[in-house]
Amino acid sequence: MEYVSPEGLRLDGRRPMEMRQIRGEIGVVDKADGSAVFEMGNTKVIAAVYGPREVPNRSQQMNDRALVRCEYTMANFSTGDRMRKPKGDRRSTEISLVIRQTMEACIMTHLMPRTQIDIFVQVLQADGGKSRCLIAAIGTRSACINAATLALSDAGIPMRDLVTSCSAGYLNSTPLLDLNYVEDSAGGADVTLGIMPKLDKVTLLQMDAKLPLDIFENVMQLAIEGCKAVATYIRQVLLENTKQLEYRRGT
Amino acid sequence: MEEKPSGSPASFIDKPVIPGDVVLDLSDMTNQTIKLGGGLRQDFDSIVAMKAGTLRFTKPNKYWVETSQKRYVPCVGDSVLGIVADSRADNFLVDIKGPTLAYLPVLAFEGGTRRNIPKFEVGTLLYVRVVKANPGMNPELSCTDASGKAAEYGVLKDGYNFDCSTGLSRMLLRSPRCPVLEELGKKISFEIAVGLNGRVWVNAGSPSLIIVVSNAIMNSESLTGVQQRIMVDKLIQNLKLSS
Repeated sequence: MEYVSPEGLRLDGRRPMEMRQIRGEIGVVDKADGSAVFEMGNTKVIAAVYGPREVPNRSQQMNDRALVRCEYTMANFSTGDRMRKPKGDRRSTEISLVIRQTMEACIMTHLMPRTQIDIFVQVLQADGGKSRCLIAAIGTRSACINAATLALSDAGIPMRDLVTSCSAGYLNSTPLLDLNYVEDSAGGADVTLGIMPKLDKVTLLQMDAKLPLDIFENVMQLAIEGCKAVATYIRQVLLENTKQLEYRRGT
Repeated sequence: MEEKPSGSPASFIDKPVIPGDVVLDLSDMTNQTIKLGGGLRQDFDSIVAMKAGTLRFTKPNKYWVETSQKRYVPCVGDSVLGIVADSRADNFLVDIKGPTLAYLPVLAFEGGTRRNIPKFEVGTLLYVRVVKANPGMNPELSCTDASGKAAEYGVLKDGYNFDCSTGLSRMLLRSPRCPVLEELGKKISFEIAVGLNGRVWVNAGSPSLIIVVSNAIMNSESLTGVQQRIMVDKLIQNLKLSS
């Protein structure tokens, strides 16, 4: 199948180096300490952060740093076919783990010993077709990480830097930025990258296929550019929010 | 701001910052002694923000990030409103909206001795002061000021308490007095206690007045000074019409 037309346009009309439309909003859950909605194209994710709070399970308490927990779920209505999925299947467990490890790298856990931070991420809408739920789930990882970052900074949890994430792939011998569902399910290489933009450090790198090293470097470079673009947008959202508060307080 | 020869770091003051922003570079400052408040950390020669908020500076050398959150991080010297959650032999356990419950020793009252230990039911609202806030330890509270006097601290009877963001409670405590309290105070007589942990207690002559005052305060978070005055005027006119 042709994923990049001879004119250099992708199936959804984007250029190879163009991202989907992104949108972020913070403070969407009233009860949570921090919350955010993040959209990347047709993928829509809500994240809520609670904490730092007391560890309910004393045996998990750590005396030198905070315990970070993450729960990822996909809403039953998020894909075309309504599926009843058991909670805690392997796919969500894996994505929970990925999000937890990525966020733990940026949270300054040593400042909040003997406490717990809970991150809940739910996919409200997954890009994708009818029944290919696996691909749809994999494609939401970067949106989940971006939503979690926004929610964490809304909660005022000390962070080294923002973490932003973006995916890139390689189809029709062209590196493509920010794969959508159709491109994701094409079976080509798919690199999901998470970086801390100011520190220039990588916190997440996943790839589901093989790529020659020189091509991989190109694809990764593209993903880094994507992450930086997301970071610029997330910065804008946060700055805008702070300015709003400032303005309202009439200083 | 004299001590910073290069213009760039000073430009961050009173501007919004994002986690990861390098707000100061110690290597190009002549006076390298600075005091860091909440939301900032030192990474070798650079001072980096770790919360999203506004960078503040007071002379001579204090820097901090001002934020507005729903959860409170205890800090020594803050006056807060706490709710008694449990009582032990030596301590009351008090919820101050922090990461952990805070301890209020039964002797931390004016003239507190083993003989006269106060009795608080679970759910009592207290106006207290944070005296210890170390990481890895439950914060400790006191019902006296630094000289051991009761000084307004203690139980808050009657009235109504509600939660708000820490930003709003800081706004209410700011001087010059914030517009909403000033306007309300001209027309209505009421008592108010504001805790830095985002809890506010209001008491007035009648329940309807309490509702008016607390609604006005809760609504004021999203309004500018002028809007706050207009809102209070409208509320008071409605109150006169209905009475």
